[in-house]
Amino acid sequence: MLDHKALARYLIALADDELILGHRNSEWTGHAPILEEDIAFANLALDEIGHSRLWYELAADLLGEDRARFPDRQVFLRPAEEFRNLQLVELPRGDWAFSMLRQYLFDVFEQHRLAGLSESTQASLAEVAARIRTEEIYHLRHTRAWVTRLGLGTEESNRRMQAALDALWPYARGLGGALPGEAGLPAGVVPDSAALYEAWLAEVSAFLAEAGLTIQPGSPDLQSPISRADHSSDFAALIEEMQSVARLDPEATW
Amino acid sequence: MNDTQWPRYEVFQQEAEGKPVLHNGTVHAADIELALLNARSVFARRPDATQMWVAPAEQITSRTREELAADPPAAEAAGAAEAYYIFGKLAEQAQASLLGEVGAASGEAAVAAALAQFGAEAALRWWAVPAAAVLKSDPADAGPMFAPAREKTYKDQAEYPVVTMMRQLRAKANTNHKDTENTK
Repeated sequence: MLDHKALARYLIALADDELILGHRNSEWTGHAPILEEDIAFANLALDEIGHSRLWYELAADLLGEDRARFPDRQVFLRPAEEFRNLQLVELPRGDWAFSMLRQYLFDVFEQHRLAGLSESTQASLAEVAARIRTEEIYHLRHTRAWVTRLGLGTEESNRRMQAALDALWPYARGLGGALPGEAGLPAGVVPDSAALYEAWLAEVSAFLAEAGLTIQPGSPDLQSPISRADHSSDFAALIEEMQSVARLDPEATW
Repeated sequence: MNDTQWPRYEVFQQEAEGKPVLHNGTVHAADIELALLNARSVFARRPDATQMWVAPAEQITSRTREELAADPPAAEAAGAAEAYYIFGKLAEQAQASLLGEVGAASGEAAVAAALAQFGAEAALRWWAVPAAAVLKSDPADAGPMFAPAREKTYKDQAEYPVVTMMRQLRAKANTNHKDTENTK
Protein backbone atom coordinates (compact mmCIF):
# COMPACT_ATOMS: atom_id res chain seq x y z
CA MET A 1 0.00 0.00 0.00
CA LEU A 2 1.49 3.29 -1.09
CA ASP A 3 1.75 5.94 1.60
CA HIS A 4 0.49 9.01 -0.28
CA LYS A 5 1.60 11.43 2.40
CA ALA A 6 5.15 10.05 2.37
CA LEU A 7 5.40 10.36 -1.42
CA ALA A 8 3.97 13.88 -1.26
CA ARG A 9 6.65 14.88 1.27
CA TYR A 10 9.29 13.43 -1.02
CA LEU A 11 7.95 15.37 -4.03
CA ILE A 12 7.65 18.63 -2.10
CA ALA A 13 11.32 18.35 -1.11
CA LEU A 14 12.25 17.80 -4.78
CA ALA A 15 10.08 20.75 -5.77
CA ASP A 16 11.68 22.94 -3.09
CA ASP A 17 15.15 22.15 -4.51
CA GLU A 18 14.07 23.16 -8.00
CA LEU A 19 12.24 26.26 -6.84
CA ILE A 20 15.02 27.66 -4.68
CA LEU A 21 17.75 26.88 -7.22
CA GLY A 22 15.63 28.49 -9.95
CA HIS A 23 15.07 31.51 -7.74
CA ARG A 24 18.78 31.93 -6.96
CA ASN A 25 19.65 31.55 -10.66
CA SER A 26 17.01 34.10 -11.63
CA GLU A 27 19.06 36.65 -9.67
CA TRP A 28 21.55 36.57 -12.57
CA THR A 29 18.98 38.02 -14.94
CA GLY A 30 20.47 41.26 -16.19
CA HIS A 31 23.85 40.44 -14.58
CA ALA A 32 25.24 37.48 -16.57
CA PRO A 33 28.59 37.99 -18.33
CA ILE A 34 27.03 38.50 -21.76
CA LEU A 35 23.54 38.98 -23.21
CA GLU A 36 23.24 35.51 -24.76
CA GLU A 37 24.27 33.86 -21.52
CA ASP A 38 21.84 36.06 -19.63
CA ILE A 39 19.01 34.75 -21.82
CA ALA A 40 20.21 31.16 -21.60
CA PHE A 41 20.54 31.15 -17.82
CA ALA A 42 17.24 32.98 -17.30
CA ASN A 43 15.62 30.27 -19.45
CA LEU A 44 17.26 27.63 -17.36
CA ALA A 45 16.03 29.28 -14.14
CA LEU A 46 12.50 29.37 -15.55
CA ASP A 47 12.75 25.69 -16.44
CA GLU A 48 13.70 24.79 -12.87
CA ILE A 49 10.79 26.79 -11.47
CA GLY A 50 8.52 25.09 -14.03
CA HIS A 51 9.75 21.69 -12.83
CA SER A 52 8.99 22.64 -9.23
CA ARG A 53 5.43 23.37 -10.28
CA LEU A 54 5.08 19.89 -11.83
CA TRP A 55 6.24 18.24 -8.58
CA TYR A 56 4.00 20.42 -6.37
CA GLU A 57 1.02 19.53 -8.61
CA LEU A 58 1.71 15.81 -8.26
CA ALA A 59 1.97 16.26 -4.49
CA ALA A 60 -1.38 18.08 -4.54
CA ASP A 61 -2.98 15.12 -6.35
CA LEU A 62 -1.63 12.71 -3.73
CA LEU A 63 -2.90 14.87 -0.87
CA GLY A 64 -6.31 15.49 -2.45
CA GLU A 65 -5.52 19.22 -2.70
CA ASP A 66 -6.45 21.63 -5.49
CA ARG A 67 -3.55 21.37 -7.98
CA ALA A 68 -4.24 24.87 -9.32
CA ARG A 69 -3.79 26.57 -5.93
CA PHE A 70 -1.46 24.24 -4.07
CA PRO A 71 1.82 25.27 -5.78
CA ASP A 72 1.29 28.99 -5.12
CA ARG A 73 0.42 28.32 -1.49
CA GLN A 74 3.56 26.23 -1.04
CA VAL A 75 5.79 28.82 -2.66
CA PHE A 76 4.35 32.10 -1.43
CA LEU A 77 2.62 31.41 1.87
CA ARG A 78 4.65 28.65 3.52
CA PRO A 79 6.94 29.66 6.41
CA ALA A 80 10.70 29.43 5.69
CA GLU A 81 11.24 26.72 8.31
CA GLU A 82 8.87 24.35 6.48
CA PHE A 83 10.91 24.33 3.25
CA ARG A 84 12.88 21.11 2.70
CA ASN A 85 15.37 22.19 0.03
CA LEU A 86 19.08 21.47 0.36
CA GLN A 87 21.35 24.19 1.68
CA LEU A 88 23.34 23.66 -1.53
CA VAL A 89 20.64 25.39 -3.60
CA GLU A 90 19.94 28.26 -1.21
CA LEU A 91 23.49 29.62 -0.91
CA PRO A 92 23.86 33.12 -2.42
CA ARG A 93 24.67 33.01 -6.12
CA GLY A 94 28.36 33.93 -5.72
CA ASP A 95 30.32 34.55 -8.92
CA TRP A 96 29.63 33.00 -12.33
CA ALA A 97 31.90 30.02 -11.61
CA PHE A 98 30.04 29.31 -8.38
CA SER A 99 26.61 29.38 -10.01
CA MET A 100 27.72 27.25 -12.99
CA LEU A 101 29.38 24.65 -10.78
CA ARG A 102 26.42 24.48 -8.38
CA GLN A 103 24.04 23.96 -11.28
CA TYR A 104 26.35 21.29 -12.72
CA LEU A 105 26.63 19.35 -9.44
CA PHE A 106 22.87 19.53 -8.97
CA ASP A 107 22.05 18.61 -12.57
CA VAL A 108 24.22 15.48 -12.60
CA PHE A 109 22.46 14.24 -9.49
CA GLU A 110 19.10 15.13 -10.98
CA GLN A 111 19.85 13.19 -14.17
CA HIS A 112 20.53 10.08 -12.09
CA ARG A 113 17.45 10.60 -9.96
CA LEU A 114 15.19 11.30 -12.97
CA ALA A 115 16.45 8.15 -14.68
CA GLY A 116 15.29 6.21 -11.60
CA LEU A 117 12.03 8.11 -11.24
CA SER A 118 11.13 7.65 -14.90
CA GLU A 119 11.00 3.89 -14.17
CA SER A 120 8.83 4.34 -11.10
CA THR A 121 5.96 1.91 -10.52
CA GLN A 122 3.86 5.04 -9.91
CA ALA A 123 2.84 5.89 -13.51
CA SER A 124 2.08 9.62 -13.01
CA LEU A 125 5.47 10.09 -11.37
CA ALA A 126 7.30 8.21 -14.13
CA GLU A 127 5.62 10.34 -16.78
CA VAL A 128 6.56 13.70 -15.25
CA ALA A 129 10.12 12.49 -14.61
CA ALA A 130 10.55 11.50 -18.26
CA ARG A 131 9.33 14.93 -19.37
CA ILE A 132 11.68 16.81 -17.07
CA ARG A 133 14.58 14.56 -18.03
CA THR A 134 14.38 15.60 -21.70
CA GLU A 135 14.75 19.23 -20.71
CA GLU A 136 17.54 18.60 -18.23
CA ILE A 137 19.78 17.14 -20.95
CA TYR A 138 20.48 20.67 -22.18
CA HIS A 139 20.95 22.10 -18.71
CA LEU A 140 23.68 19.59 -18.16
CA ARG A 141 25.33 20.31 -21.50
CA HIS A 142 25.33 23.98 -20.72
CA THR A 143 26.91 23.72 -17.29
CA ARG A 144 29.35 20.98 -18.31
CA ALA A 145 30.59 23.27 -21.07
CA TRP A 146 31.14 26.11 -18.61
CA VAL A 147 32.82 24.03 -15.90
CA THR A 148 35.29 22.62 -18.44
CA ARG A 149 36.03 25.98 -20.06
CA LEU A 150 36.54 27.81 -16.80
CA GLY A 151 38.44 24.92 -15.24
CA LEU A 152 40.85 24.70 -18.18
CA GLY A 153 40.70 28.38 -19.18
CA THR A 154 42.94 31.04 -17.69
CA GLU A 155 44.71 31.08 -14.36
CA GLU A 156 41.96 33.32 -12.99
CA SER A 157 39.08 31.20 -14.28
CA ASN A 158 40.66 28.04 -12.85
CA ARG A 159 41.28 29.76 -9.51
CA ARG A 160 37.66 30.91 -9.33
CA MET A 161 36.29 27.50 -10.31
CA GLN A 162 38.51 25.77 -7.75
CA ALA A 163 37.36 28.24 -5.07
CA ALA A 164 33.75 27.50 -6.04
CA LEU A 165 34.39 23.76 -5.72
CA ASP A 166 36.03 24.18 -2.32
CA ALA A 167 33.05 26.22 -1.12
CA LEU A 168 30.34 23.99 -2.63
CA TRP A 169 31.69 20.52 -1.92
CA PRO A 170 30.76 20.35 1.79
CA TYR A 171 27.18 21.29 0.82
CA ALA A 172 27.00 18.96 -2.20
CA ARG A 173 27.26 15.95 0.10
CA GLY A 174 23.72 16.78 1.24
CA LEU A 175 22.54 15.40 -2.11
CA GLY A 176 23.01 11.84 -0.88
CA GLY A 177 20.82 12.10 2.22
CA ALA A 178 17.47 10.32 2.09
CA LEU A 179 14.60 12.63 1.13
CA PRO A 180 11.70 13.21 3.50
CA GLY A 181 9.25 10.33 3.14
CA GLU A 182 11.75 8.15 1.24
CA ALA A 183 12.10 5.56 4.02
CA GLY A 184 8.34 4.95 4.09
CA LEU A 185 8.00 4.12 0.38
CA PRO A 186 7.92 0.57 -1.05
CA ALA A 187 10.74 -0.46 -3.40
CA GLY A 188 10.33 0.63 -7.02
CA VAL A 189 8.52 3.90 -6.34
CA VAL A 190 11.60 6.10 -5.98
CA PRO A 191 15.32 5.33 -6.41
CA ASP A 192 17.51 4.91 -3.33
CA SER A 193 19.25 8.25 -2.69
CA ALA A 194 22.37 6.67 -1.23
CA ALA A 195 22.85 4.58 -4.40
CA LEU A 196 22.32 7.67 -6.58
CA TYR A 197 24.97 9.44 -4.55
CA GLU A 198 27.55 6.76 -5.37
CA ALA A 199 26.82 7.07 -9.10
CA TRP A 200 26.89 10.87 -8.85
CA LEU A 201 30.17 10.88 -6.94
CA ALA A 202 31.88 8.66 -9.51
CA GLU A 203 30.68 10.79 -12.42
CA VAL A 204 31.47 14.25 -11.01
CA SER A 205 34.84 13.16 -9.57
CA ALA A 206 36.02 12.01 -13.01
CA PHE A 207 34.62 15.05 -14.79
CA LEU A 208 36.04 17.60 -12.34
CA ALA A 209 39.48 15.99 -12.53
CA GLU A 210 39.39 16.29 -16.35
CA ALA A 211 38.44 19.94 -15.93
CA GLY A 212 41.62 20.54 -13.93
CA LEU A 213 39.81 20.79 -10.58
CA THR A 214 40.68 19.06 -7.33
CA ILE A 215 38.34 17.80 -4.65
CA GLN A 216 40.15 18.69 -1.44
CA PRO A 217 41.21 15.60 0.50
CA GLY A 218 39.56 15.24 3.87
CA SER A 219 36.31 16.78 2.64
CA PRO A 220 33.34 15.64 4.67
CA ASP A 221 31.46 12.77 3.06
CA LEU A 222 28.00 11.27 3.06
CA GLN A 223 28.46 10.06 6.64
CA SER A 224 27.36 13.48 7.87
CA PRO A 225 24.72 14.87 5.50
CA ILE A 226 23.15 18.22 6.30
CA SER A 227 19.49 17.87 7.24
CA ARG A 228 16.98 19.40 4.85
CA ALA A 229 15.25 20.91 7.88
CA ASP A 230 18.31 23.09 8.57
CA HIS A 231 18.70 26.27 6.58
CA SER A 232 21.54 28.76 6.28
CA SER A 233 21.36 32.32 7.57
CA ASP A 234 20.71 33.66 4.03
CA PHE A 235 17.59 31.57 3.53
CA ALA A 236 15.17 33.68 5.58
CA ALA A 237 16.01 36.74 3.47
CA LEU A 238 15.46 34.80 0.23
CA ILE A 239 12.02 33.62 1.35
CA GLU A 240 11.06 37.03 2.65
CA GLU A 241 11.85 38.64 -0.68
CA MET A 242 10.26 35.84 -2.75
CA GLN A 243 7.03 36.00 -0.74
CA SER A 244 6.85 39.77 -0.17
CA VAL A 245 4.47 40.62 -3.02
CA ALA A 246 2.13 37.65 -2.54
CA ARG A 247 1.87 38.33 1.17
CA LEU A 248 0.72 41.92 0.57
CA ASP A 249 -2.60 40.46 -0.61
CA PRO A 250 -2.81 36.66 -0.18
CA GLU A 251 -6.32 36.53 -1.72
CA ALA A 252 -5.42 38.43 -4.90
CA THR A 253 -6.07 36.75 -8.25
CA TRP A 254 -3.22 36.82 -10.78
CA MET B 1 37.94 42.35 -18.46
CA ASN B 2 36.59 45.40 -20.25
CA ASP B 3 35.79 43.85 -23.60
CA THR B 4 33.21 41.12 -23.18
CA GLN B 5 32.45 40.85 -26.89
CA TRP B 6 33.07 37.28 -27.83
CA PRO B 7 33.25 36.26 -31.51
CA ARG B 8 30.06 36.52 -33.53
CA TYR B 9 28.28 33.48 -34.97
CA GLU B 10 25.49 33.53 -37.53
CA VAL B 11 22.54 31.30 -36.72
CA PHE B 12 20.60 29.40 -39.39
CA GLN B 13 17.43 27.51 -38.75
CA GLN B 14 14.99 25.22 -40.52
CA GLU B 15 11.44 25.61 -39.29
CA ALA B 16 10.18 22.22 -40.47
CA GLU B 17 11.20 19.36 -42.77
CA GLY B 18 11.02 20.50 -46.39
CA LYS B 19 11.16 24.21 -45.49
CA PRO B 20 14.18 26.33 -46.43
CA VAL B 21 17.14 26.79 -44.11
CA LEU B 22 17.03 30.50 -43.21
CA HIS B 23 19.37 32.93 -41.51
CA ASN B 24 17.72 33.78 -38.21
CA GLY B 25 20.14 36.02 -36.36
CA THR B 26 23.43 36.33 -34.54
CA VAL B 27 24.86 35.20 -31.23
CA HIS B 28 28.14 35.88 -29.45
CA ALA B 29 29.90 32.96 -27.82
CA ALA B 30 33.31 31.89 -26.56
CA ASP B 31 33.40 29.00 -29.05
CA ILE B 32 31.20 27.25 -31.58
CA GLU B 33 29.72 24.61 -29.23
CA LEU B 34 28.58 27.34 -26.85
CA ALA B 35 27.31 29.28 -29.87
CA LEU B 36 24.96 26.42 -30.72
CA LEU B 37 23.79 26.20 -27.10
CA ASN B 38 23.22 29.96 -27.01
CA ALA B 39 21.43 29.86 -30.36
CA ARG B 40 19.06 27.27 -28.93
CA SER B 41 18.29 29.50 -25.93
CA VAL B 42 17.80 32.62 -27.98
CA PHE B 43 16.11 31.35 -31.14
CA ALA B 44 14.60 27.88 -30.63
CA ARG B 45 11.15 29.35 -30.19
CA ARG B 46 11.26 31.90 -33.04
CA PRO B 47 9.85 30.28 -35.01
CA ASP B 48 9.69 26.53 -34.47
CA ALA B 49 12.80 24.56 -35.48
CA THR B 50 13.85 21.11 -36.63
CA GLN B 51 17.51 21.93 -37.09
CA MET B 52 19.87 24.74 -36.27
CA TRP B 53 23.30 25.64 -37.66
CA VAL B 54 25.92 28.08 -36.43
CA ALA B 55 28.93 29.43 -38.35
CA PRO B 56 31.63 31.93 -37.32
CA ALA B 57 30.77 35.29 -38.92
CA GLU B 58 34.43 35.98 -39.72
CA GLN B 59 34.59 32.94 -42.02
CA ILE B 60 31.60 33.97 -44.11
CA THR B 61 32.22 35.78 -47.41
CA SER B 62 29.48 38.34 -47.95
CA ARG B 63 28.90 40.38 -51.16
CA THR B 64 26.01 42.61 -52.21
CA ARG B 65 24.77 42.76 -55.80
CA GLU B 66 26.21 46.32 -56.06
CA GLU B 67 29.61 45.25 -54.75
CA LEU B 68 29.68 42.40 -57.24
CA ALA B 69 28.75 44.69 -60.16
CA ALA B 70 31.53 47.14 -59.24
CA ASP B 71 34.12 44.47 -58.49
CA PRO B 72 33.35 41.04 -60.04
CA PRO B 73 34.68 38.13 -57.98
CA ALA B 74 37.61 36.06 -59.25
CA ALA B 75 36.46 32.57 -60.16
CA GLU B 76 39.99 31.16 -59.81
CA ALA B 77 41.76 30.68 -56.50
CA ALA B 78 44.84 28.79 -55.43
CA GLY B 79 44.49 25.68 -53.28
CA ALA B 80 42.16 22.76 -53.00
CA ALA B 81 38.41 23.13 -53.49
CA GLU B 82 36.14 22.72 -50.50
CA ALA B 83 32.37 22.79 -50.08
CA TYR B 84 30.57 26.08 -49.44
CA TYR B 85 26.92 26.63 -48.54
CA ILE B 86 25.46 29.47 -50.58
CA PHE B 87 22.87 31.70 -48.93
CA GLY B 88 21.05 34.44 -50.79
CA LYS B 89 18.98 37.35 -49.56
CA LEU B 90 16.22 37.25 -52.16
CA ALA B 91 14.27 40.37 -51.17
CA GLU B 92 14.90 43.48 -49.09
CA GLN B 93 12.78 42.24 -46.15
CA ALA B 94 13.65 38.55 -46.47
CA GLN B 95 16.02 36.46 -44.35
CA ALA B 96 18.93 34.94 -46.27
CA SER B 97 17.93 31.51 -47.51
CA LEU B 98 20.03 28.43 -48.33
CA LEU B 99 20.20 28.11 -52.13
CA GLY B 100 22.60 25.20 -52.44
CA GLU B 101 26.22 24.07 -52.28
CA VAL B 102 29.23 24.79 -54.47
CA GLY B 103 32.83 23.60 -54.46
CA ALA B 104 35.51 26.32 -54.56
CA ALA B 105 39.02 27.11 -53.31
CA SER B 106 38.04 30.39 -51.60
CA GLY B 107 34.98 32.26 -50.38
CA GLU B 108 35.26 34.71 -53.26
CA ALA B 109 35.52 31.88 -55.80
CA ALA B 110 32.47 30.28 -54.14
CA VAL B 111 30.50 33.50 -54.71
CA ALA B 112 31.62 33.52 -58.36
CA ALA B 113 30.48 29.90 -58.70
CA ALA B 114 27.14 30.78 -57.08
CA LEU B 115 26.58 33.64 -59.56
CA ALA B 116 27.22 31.23 -62.42
CA GLN B 117 24.94 28.57 -60.95
CA PHE B 118 22.00 30.64 -59.67
CA GLY B 119 22.25 33.80 -61.84
CA ALA B 120 23.65 37.21 -60.81
CA GLU B 121 20.13 38.63 -60.41
CA ALA B 122 18.94 35.85 -58.09
CA ALA B 123 19.92 37.57 -54.82
CA LEU B 124 20.50 41.04 -53.37
CA ARG B 125 23.26 39.73 -51.11
CA TRP B 126 25.29 36.51 -51.29
CA TRP B 127 26.89 34.59 -48.47
CA ALA B 128 29.41 31.80 -48.97
CA VAL B 129 29.78 29.74 -45.78
CA PRO B 130 32.55 27.08 -45.67
CA ALA B 131 30.72 23.83 -44.90
CA ALA B 132 33.59 22.70 -42.67
CA ALA B 133 33.10 25.75 -40.42
CA VAL B 134 29.41 25.01 -39.76
CA LEU B 135 28.25 23.23 -36.60
CA LYS B 136 24.81 21.66 -37.05
CA SER B 137 22.47 20.40 -34.38
CA ASP B 138 22.43 16.61 -34.25
CA PRO B 139 19.21 15.30 -35.89
CA ALA B 140 19.08 12.53 -33.27
CA ASP B 141 19.00 15.31 -30.69
CA ALA B 142 16.05 17.24 -32.13
CA GLY B 143 13.76 16.07 -29.31
CA PRO B 144 15.68 17.48 -26.33
CA MET B 145 16.88 20.43 -28.42
CA PHE B 146 13.57 21.78 -29.66
CA ALA B 147 10.60 19.98 -28.09
CA PRO B 148 10.70 21.57 -24.61
CA ALA B 149 10.34 25.09 -26.04
CA ARG B 150 7.07 24.27 -27.80
CA GLU B 151 5.12 23.88 -24.57
CA LYS B 152 6.44 27.11 -23.15
CA THR B 153 4.19 29.66 -24.76
CA TYR B 154 5.42 32.24 -22.26
CA LYS B 155 8.75 32.19 -24.09
CA ASP B 156 7.12 33.14 -27.40
CA GLN B 157 7.37 36.83 -28.19
CA ALA B 158 3.95 36.61 -29.86
CA GLU B 159 2.52 36.03 -26.37
CA TYR B 160 3.51 39.56 -25.41
CA PRO B 161 1.68 42.03 -27.68
CA VAL B 162 3.51 44.94 -26.02
CA VAL B 163 3.79 47.06 -29.16
CA THR B 164 0.05 46.77 -29.90
CA MET B 165 -0.82 47.49 -26.28
CA MET B 166 1.44 50.55 -26.15
CA ARG B 167 -0.12 51.84 -29.38
CA GLN B 168 -3.61 51.42 -27.92
CA LEU B 169 -2.59 53.14 -24.68
CA ARG B 170 -1.02 56.04 -26.60
CA ALA B 171 -4.11 56.38 -28.81
CA LYS B 172 -6.27 56.47 -25.69
CA ALA B 173 -3.99 58.99 -24.00
CA ASN B 174 -4.07 61.22 -27.10
CA THR B 175 -7.87 61.07 -27.26
CA ASN B 176 -8.14 61.98 -23.58
CA HIS B 177 -5.67 64.79 -24.10
CA LYS B 178 -7.71 66.22 -27.02
CA ASP B 179 -10.90 65.97 -24.97
CA THR B 180 -9.27 67.98 -22.22
CA GLU B 181 -8.05 70.58 -24.74
CA ASN B 182 -11.54 70.92 -26.27
CA THR B 183 -13.25 71.56 -22.98
CA LYS B 184 -10.90 74.43 -22.10
